[in-house]
Amino acid sequence: MKDVFSADLRRRLEALAAKYPAKSAALLPALHLVQAEAGFIGPAEEEAVAGLLGVTPLEVREVVTFYTMFRRTPAGRYHLQVCRNVTCSLLGADQILDYLRKKLGLAVGETSADGRFTLTTVECLGECEQAPCLMVNFDHYGNLTENRVDEILRELA
Amino acid sequence: MAEAKTFSRALGREGGWSIEAYLQAGGYRAARKALGEMTPAAVLDEVKKASLRGRGGAGFPAGLKWGFVPAKTDKPKYLCVNADEGEPGTFKDRYILGHDPHLLIEGALIASFAVGIHRAFVYIRGEYENIARRLEAAVAEAVERKFLGPDVFGSGFALDLQVHRGAGSYICGEETALLESLEGKRGHPRLKPPFPASVGLFGAPTVINNVETLANIPGIILHGAAWFTDQGLPTDGGTRLFGVSGAVARPGVYELPVGTPLRDIIFTHAGGMLPGRQLKAVIPGGLSAPVLRADEIDLPMCCDALVRAGSMLGSGAVIVIDDRTPILDVLLRVARFYAHESCGQCTPCRLGTNWIRKVVERMASGGGRPGDIDELARLASGIKGRTLCPMGDAAALPVLGLVQKFRSELEGATCRP
Amino acid sequence: MPTLTIDGRTLSVADGTTVLRAALEAGISIPHLCWHPAFVPEGSCRLCLVEVEGLPKLELACSTIVREGMIVKTATPAVRESRRRVLEFLLAEHPVDCPICDKAGECKLQDYYADYGLTEGVFAEAKERRAKKVVLGERLILDRERCVLCTRCVRFLKDVTGTRELGVFERGVHSEVGILEGKPVATAYAGNLVDLCPVGAITDTAFRHKTRTWFLSARPSVCPLCARGCSIWIDYHPGFPRRPASAGVYRIRPRTDEAVNGPWICDRGRYGYLDLHRRRLPAIFWNRGGQRVEMSREKILTLLGEKVGSLATRHQGKGLGLVLNSNLTVEEFGVVRQTLLPRIPQARVWFADPPHGEDDGFLLRSERTVNRRGASGLGFDLAPLSLEDVARGLTILVVLSPFFGQAAPAAGVEKALASVETKALVSPVETGFEGLFDFVIPSALPSEKGGTFVDFQSRSRTLSPVFPPWGDAWAEGDFLSALAAEISRTS
Repeated sequence: MKDVFSADLRRRLEALAAKYPAKSAALLPALHLVQAEAGFIGPAEEEAVAGLLGVTPLEVREVVTFYTMFRRTPAGRYHLQVCRNVTCSLLGADQILDYLRKKLGLAVGETSADGRFTLTTVECLGECEQAPCLMVNFDHYGNLTENRVDEILRELA
Repeated sequence: MAEAKTFSRALGREGGWSIEAYLQAGGYRAARKALGEMTPAAVLDEVKKASLRGRGGAGFPAGLKWGFVPAKTDKPKYLCVNADEGEPGTFKDRYILGHDPHLLIEGALIASFAVGIHRAFVYIRGEYENIARRLEAAVAEAVERKFLGPDVFGSGFALDLQVHRGAGSYICGEETALLESLEGKRGHPRLKPPFPASVGLFGAPTVINNVETLANIPGIILHGAAWFTDQGLPTDGGTRLFGVSGAVARPGVYELPVGTPLRDIIFTHAGGMLPGRQLKAVIPGGLSAPVLRADEIDLPMCCDALVRAGSMLGSGAVIVIDDRTPILDVLLRVARFYAHESCGQCTPCRLGTNWIRKVVERMASGGGRPGDIDELARLASGIKGRTLCPMGDAAALPVLGLVQKFRSELEGATCRP
Repeated sequence: MPTLTIDGRTLSVADGTTVLRAALEAGISIPHLCWHPAFVPEGSCRLCLVEVEGLPKLELACSTIVREGMIVKTATPAVRESRRRVLEFLLAEHPVDCPICDKAGECKLQDYYADYGLTEGVFAEAKERRAKKVVLGERLILDRERCVLCTRCVRFLKDVTGTRELGVFERGVHSEVGILEGKPVATAYAGNLVDLCPVGAITDTAFRHKTRTWFLSARPSVCPLCARGCSIWIDYHPGFPRRPASAGVYRIRPRTDEAVNGPWICDRGRYGYLDLHRRRLPAIFWNRGGQRVEMSREKILTLLGEKVGSLATRHQGKGLGLVLNSNLTVEEFGVVRQTLLPRIPQARVWFADPPHGEDDGFLLRSERTVNRRGASGLGFDLAPLSLEDVARGLTILVVLSPFFGQAAPAAGVEKALASVETKALVSPVETGFEGLFDFVIPSALPSEKGGTFVDFQSRSRTLSPVFPPWGDAWAEGDFLSALAAEISRTS
């Protein structure tokens, strides 16, 4: 039966688990590694991670559905996460979000048909001195203006 | 950007964050002094005398917290560095981790020595992935030089430090939720007592400290407790990284003595208001700190003064709100944030934050009714003091503050004839 | 042994006792949803907050340990206010399902609202809409709108059964209890989840929408389906005056008994005992040439008594086989030993008990009857009935067992019985072998006759009758006494 994980990923997961006093403690970092390879954490991934870390698939799902960074369905290649907390809002985050919605033709939570972009809103990203900001996958962009957004989208193309 | 002081020296440092640059600038001297010339008890004593208050939000004296860990135990002891930095408005730990990771490592090393800890985890929020990688690289540098590992500085002291990522949950910045998350579970805060110092990570005695708190340790050990309190106040020593954001000309991190007047932070250091805008309100310590009006900013930024003013120093994150920002909009972000971040365990927070969110969203979309403001105050006071963890109060007090201090503006905004 | 004062009452409690347990000892009830005596304190419902003198905030009664000299107040205005506020939060998102909810009448939320709430509903927003019929297991349905997230169900499956089928997914107000697809709750103790749920979120399909709890009267009894003899409540409906068909047993629930079963029972008992009530034999009848002829008690006593009496007088009961079962009561065994057997001392006595099953390591014992020790206590050796014994020269066979034939293939039973001249079956339920017997007499279940059992721990367990005998059911003890009397009369 084909392993859900690549050999390399399995090796990395096992090495990760070995660093903890109990394997089960590696679950969150492990899920990040899995999501980086698979794009999401579905039932097959839940079972595979569970088996590796000595927890149940149910416990994996309990964790996946608690933390906002874990996805049960794949995101687009570029996951655009716009902060909507206080500082970003008072410096124009709503306008940036509106601009992105129109430009990409996406509602919040949607993925583009070509699979390139997913647009979501998030809470404070810890970049408030560069508000308004957004995170693309793990990369942070701040001091956003419509022009800057255009630039970013071009860079991502 | 920020003026160069104790931390901020790293910002302009030649060679950046690397261990070479850190050593060149005098790094790891404090750790060598502690491990080579002092006893753990002496280190603990110095930190206690320095009146170092926690920099994460609660302001609990660090030395006191370390002292709660039993000296003799047959369990391993753990240090968890709280790098979750989820309090809205807060970004200072990002600076330390990104620009001066070795300062944190050194602080963690000294703290571990003082308490007899040989295993440390840095719980870093998942959104700081790129910073986490830099931290891991810094740890690798330290391990390579034997500043971490089984025989630090050849002293025989062992410390293993590991970087652990979170995955998007504000509540995991609460110490017991952090422990649950670090154990691979949902971030559900635990009942206290027992306290982490006796029953913490994997049931063992654990110290949880904020990044900035630990980053202050090397300075205290190198220069002494008196040097630290001299920079700040006798009961609240040192400098703090005030993260200023919002409608100011120069948002950024400002390292300033504890007790610096809030007015100075905003109008001197952060350059005052953006052109054409007037100050309306200030959230002085991260979103969970009750708001201050524009006429309430003449106070020193220290834990006690903020408490006396009905707010809190919290994470030292100063959010500056201008006259073009409707308070209802601020209230909306507040309401949505806590509803989104509630872990869902306990009744008042799970249901109360969502109720508040529903009322505020209705108000913000034009459906406000007379009595809504009173209802919000009632709901917030229903949550206050009744929840399993401090997030209940964190959700309730800002709402109460906004409603109390900006009632007429809120009433005007919500009730349409 | 710290001493505390609670609402003016002073008492000493064991070290480590919580305020809530101390209150229970003092007869003071403190409202709670997430606390349960079988689990460690959870502290999430926040209903049990009470005043502890000297502490600034209200404290949880469920998890605060009593310290010497503690002064607790559970009825101050602050405590009352706190309960009202917490209840208000719960009720804000709780559907007003009471008219259609099975739990009505035994729902903690209803009770607490009546005791501590009684505020006007003030939630004026749109309620969360959630799934109302989530299948959790074979007989379990979850209504997520009603769920108050006390997590008792999740913790039961984690701490008691270890099967862990339930978890809490999502976060905040969206938190929900659920299973993984294809992995329903399958533990043999699933029925306890319905009792555990403080509201009507988890319901039992065996009970769902069948009746209202206030029509039921809870009668104490003992489950006879294994040697543990779990203490149970039998929820019995005496029937509406104009609808006698509504009478009956609607539900079996655990009756907390620390020495026997704690607060739980297994599903085998919970649903199995409920089932037995429905396979009752209708009336006394005589199988006359393939035709069932109904008889009266007097008539059958005469017929049977004559035959048994003649064997008794002439051969001292030789050729008579008596088959008992170990769910008869101690009193009934006493009648056999002291009243019947002296008149038929040469009679053979066997036992037809159900085959042993698996001991599940928790409550279910491998012996599937409750009174084997009661029988052996009265000198019976519990020799199992063998078909060879039956085929070898028996003139009369009187079987008092609902378990007859379970241990043998049906064809063998028929052949063996064919060689016996007169056969009588006395059983509360159908066995499947009624057609092979001359006389069939419906007898009573333990809950209809009362009596004593001796369980696997050698404890004497006495039950009173819970409801009247079904139809013509004749308690075995009465039948045996009457038979003995008839034998005496005819000899």
